[in-house]
Amino acid sequence: MHIPDGILPAQVCVGGYAIAGGVTWYVLRRIRQVSNPTEEIPKAAMLAAAFFIGSSINIPVPPVSIHLVLNGPLGVVLGWYAWPAILIGLFLQAVLIGHGGLTTLGVNAVMMGIPALIGFQVFKLRHQVGKGWSMTQSVGVFAFLAGAIALGLAALIFFGLIVFTIPAELNVLEERSALTALMIAHIPLMFIEGIFTLMLALFLLRVKPNLLDNPG
Amino acid sequence: MHERNGLAIIGGSLLGAIALLAGLPPGARAHGVSVQSRTTNAVEIQAVYDSGKPMENAQVQVYAPDDPSTPYFVGQTDNRGRFVFAPDQAGDWEISVRQAGHGKIVVIPVESGGAIAETFTNDAGLTPLQRGVMAGAVTWGCVGTALYFRRGKV
Repeated sequence: MHIPDGILPAQVCVGGYAIAGGVTWYVLRRIRQVSNPTEEIPKAAMLAAAFFIGSSINIPVPPVSIHLVLNGPLGVVLGWYAWPAILIGLFLQAVLIGHGGLTTLGVNAVMMGIPALIGFQVFKLRHQVGKGWSMTQSVGVFAFLAGAIALGLAALIFFGLIVFTIPAELNVLEERSALTALMIAHIPLMFIEGIFTLMLALFLLRVKPNLLDNPG
Repeated sequence: MHERNGLAIIGGSLLGAIALLAGLPPGARAHGVSVQSRTTNAVEIQAVYDSGKPMENAQVQVYAPDDPSTPYFVGQTDNRGRFVFAPDQAGDWEISVRQAGHGKIVVIPVESGGAIAETFTNDAGLTPLQRGVMAGAVTWGCVGTALYFRRGKV
């Protein structure tokens, strides 16, 4: 899912950085308004590590091979902190294991981070929509939705970015069909990440429910 | 562009020559065709994903040293992620391999005569051990940060 260097035109990379810069400013402002960063950073650090490792876990979905993204779980557990955690995770992935790239850091952050923040908002809907339900039900259902939606959105952004920037010298049809195969492989991943988010949220609900209450 | 690629391969093999003949339209076969061959140096690349899986049918573009904007050879990797081209001039050849938004650009220095310069070494990537150590270090760094802040709270 990470876009490496040299795939996207320079304007798109610059645009990615510009959007990522704007989001970072907004998210940091929200973080300062709603919480005490010193208390939340350990949690964010742990999940940044999980995010870092997640992309090294390959899942074969023939004919392609995909990897976990875990942006949904980060949104659910970290709230606004998901953004800086993803940004740092992506930076470390680019520098240490060559996953993604430095020119595409902004684009990748937008691609995975914004869906994570949307996942966070989806998870918060449990307070309104899931009012009459039991705690386990509302947390479970909305965690699943948050995980699946965050991954699905990230995959859609990836698809859009690549499909609209295929260079003319490539065989466009061939690239499109390869891309479509990759996108179809992400449908099962939506369920896998949704279920992972659900299990993580239910586990936290049992052992430390206050971790799930991100002010927002 | 594809034809150019085909020509590059016949340089070395009879099989390529047959492929060229078969590729001609029926009308043209009636006319005399001469196929010449010569031995040439070719460069073979192999593209694999970092999971170890070969990049099958990935699109390859090869740019000659004197023109970095128009691909000189265009083709696809085979089912083992390999692609062969015969450089016809010395200099830095740029090869772009790409599939479904994933890919890489490498520069291969070629000497006159078509051999890869001796100074060139393949990017071996990271061994699983290196990856493991790095992942462990980063994880521990994050856990350490967490422990540090936890201690501060007590």
